[in-house]
Amino acid sequence: MNRSTRNQTLMGWLLLLPAMAIFALMIFYPFINSIFISFTNRNLLYAKSAFIGFDNYRKLFSDPNTLFLIWTTVKFVFLATLMPFAIGLIWALLMNQKFKGSEFVRGLTLVNWIIPGIAIGFLWSWIFNGDYGILNALLGKLGLIDKNVIWFGGKQTSMLAVVTARTWQMFPWYMAFIMGGLQGVSNDQCEAARIDGVNNLQMFRHVIIPAIKPVLILILLLGTIGNLQHFDLINVMTGGGPERATSTFATEVYKKAFKEYSVGRAASLGVIWAMMLSLFSIFYLKRIKED
Amino acid sequence: MFQKTLGFRIFFWSFLLVIGFFAFFPQLWMISTSLKPATEMFSFSFFKYFDFSNLKRVLSDRTFLTYLRNGIVVAVASSVCSTVVSVLAGYSFSKFRFKGRKTVMALIMVSQAFPQGLLLLSLYPMMQKVGMLDTLPSIILAYIAFTLPVGTWTLKAYFDQVPQSLMEAARVDGSSEWRTMFQIIIPLAVPGMMTIAIYSFVWAWNDLLYALTLISSTANRTLASGMVFTFTGEGGNDWIGMMAASVIASIPVAAIFVFLQRYFIAGLTAGAVKG
Repeated sequence: MNRSTRNQTLMGWLLLLPAMAIFALMIFYPFINSIFISFTNRNLLYAKSAFIGFDNYRKLFSDPNTLFLIWTTVKFVFLATLMPFAIGLIWALLMNQKFKGSEFVRGLTLVNWIIPGIAIGFLWSWIFNGDYGILNALLGKLGLIDKNVIWFGGKQTSMLAVVTARTWQMFPWYMAFIMGGLQGVSNDQCEAARIDGVNNLQMFRHVIIPAIKPVLILILLLGTIGNLQHFDLINVMTGGGPERATSTFATEVYKKAFKEYSVGRAASLGVIWAMMLSLFSIFYLKRIKED
Repeated sequence: MFQKTLGFRIFFWSFLLVIGFFAFFPQLWMISTSLKPATEMFSFSFFKYFDFSNLKRVLSDRTFLTYLRNGIVVAVASSVCSTVVSVLAGYSFSKFRFKGRKTVMALIMVSQAFPQGLLLLSLYPMMQKVGMLDTLPSIILAYIAFTLPVGTWTLKAYFDQVPQSLMEAARVDGSSEWRTMFQIIIPLAVPGMMTIAIYSFVWAWNDLLYALTLISSTANRTLASGMVFTFTGEGGNDWIGMMAASVIASIPVAAIFVFLQRYFIAGLTAGAVKG
């Protein structure tokens, strides 16, 4: 090894040292350790725990609640990714028109995304409030309902409320990425298509969508990963209820570990959760490597 | 991009109104509710009252002020530490070639997808063992760790843009590696550092899961988790108080965002797309 390579190696690792220390301590070790915990009967209330093999997993797979949890998680992730994606795409197209004040409007939209989840959770709980919420009042005035809907009482309506809040929070994020993608659509290409006589819809489908497709796939992946991890809004608005109808892996692992104290079982659920996540992150890694 | 046909105009205006209402009415409803007198809590009036006593009431509450202070301390500390650590790591990845570099880079990237709830199951007993449970550093460390992947990759992208010739020139001039790094290259990445500083600040300010579990005493709670405790049970029907607290919790991040927007959007999207 010559002097320069040795120098590079030394400096390279030296600069990495703080990051590696934090990474090892706060992410890598806990990850491995949590997998280990999933094979124990660890409980938050007792200091001692024993190795119990695959017992936690066996219980998990024989529990009908697990299947239901996977179903509600998939439902939440699917809706909470596609809804804000669609609205974010339309909003990006509108904001890209660069009308007077569009920059201000764009900035104001992003406020939804930047403010704390707790504030958003409170706000939408208030809007969806069955007795005094503004949503019931508005729907009543429009003649769409004749008596108040108790949104957080029903399973489907609870899911609707949570997904709506998440959509409100996240569509600006999708918009920001899509606007970045739209900047890369060349004017020449649009002009050329126009001369060929394409209309707006064709322009959108055959020129714009193909041009921003890499960004769209990327944010769908990142959005899915984010929703699989999402905790705040569900925890604040419904706590996973009623009757687990809005539970996801994120809220269920938290509940099992910190409300029921069975950390071992929570960990086994968490490992399955991690596998679901890794599926999407492999896709994500592949995508950014290609670009 | 589009021809302004009649169809386009209808599309444009209808969606501008509908999505605009969906986006902005709730923001305004939050503010409007926070400004109502208690007797008007259940009225559907919209910006009819401008009663600032609710905001004053929340802001003069001792406990709330403790939460607020802790929230600021945690967010600032996380932001500064995360930026420094990310700068060093991003620089290392961008400017040095060494064995194991690619593996470490991939590992840091993949870690983003580890479920935070799963890590928490080990971090909780770990913090307990070293006596750091219920201390601010415990969550600060967690926030640094979680913002590290995006931080490192975004800053690496910034350093990659600095031409190699600039470093060569500095070397020829006899500048040491350290001087080149701190006096020539790092100053060029200030916009990227701003991005990460804001990103980590917002993350720490908004986080609920870790603040809810690793912190157990009122004296150490941050704003987000403190609000959960203030407004559950009996406080759960104080919608005016909840909206007032929400407005106060939103102001710092919204303000930072409005003033520093240009750093934020371009920087973050670039980091995630280019990697």
